[in-house]
Amino acid sequence: MIVVNTETVPGYRVVELKGIVQGNTVRAKHLGRDIAAGLKNLVGGELGGYTELLTEARRDALERMLAQAEQLGANAVINVRFSTSAVTQGAAEIYAYGTAAVLSPEG
Amino acid sequence: MEGVVGLLAQLGIPLGLILLGLIAGRAVERAHFSELRRREEEVAHMLVSDIRTFPGGVDTSLQPEMIISQAVIATDYLKSFLAGLRKILGGELTSYLSLMERARREALLRVLEEARAKGYDAVCNVRLDTADIGGAVAAKGVVMVAVVVSATGYKRSAEGALAA
Repeated sequence: MIVVNTETVPGYRVVELKGIVQGNTVRAKHLGRDIAAGLKNLVGGELGGYTELLTEARRDALERMLAQAEQLGANAVINVRFSTSAVTQGAAEIYAYGTAAVLSPEG
Repeated sequence: MEGVVGLLAQLGIPLGLILLGLIAGRAVERAHFSELRRREEEVAHMLVSDIRTFPGGVDTSLQPEMIISQAVIATDYLKSFLAGLRKILGGELTSYLSLMERARREALLRVLEEARAKGYDAVCNVRLDTADIGGAVAAKGVVMVAVVVSATGYKRSAEGALAA
């Protein structure tokens, strides 16, 4: 599976577009991490728990998007975009979307 | 006696709201999903992409045009309650997933339907954005999500190549 955030892939041409594919996840850290992050706010610095949260969420959202593309018979997702939203306090949503496409090598 | 009544009222109201979410909330969601499926089938023939370069070529007899639409959806009390429990433990808040899905599908569908009504058979450069409008009420357990979708509607030309 070729995943890019550009509209074209050098060396390949687009044979077929399968439409928009998307994946999302809403995740939260347990209460302990929320409290730790609250304390960290007093001194500043990276909020490790929340960094981890976003990393996990991004991976999950991307995986779900790829699963959808595979189901449609695509071999690539082009022009991938990420977007986030604050659904509720202490939780993050990550949303990935792109265009599923069938690519074939040029020449 | 007064204490018992007070306790009942304190417990009864949240329980009633949870029950309402369980019955009414679920029915509303199910109805919405089946409506989404039906309407999506009507626009299934359209070419939808987030590519900027008009895949499929443009039939210039019809001027391409930007189309914007949005949808705002709220959760029911039960879902907020379950998500609240989940937040203590951490992990994925699955009860909010369907909320986001409904909002996005609805907003995108409105764009596609408007495009179809204007005579287009494809939309490109689809952008999905969320707006946080829950702010003040989020603390009370009511979660709302607003999704804004913009895209460019166009009519495909018969002999157009798929990619630029």
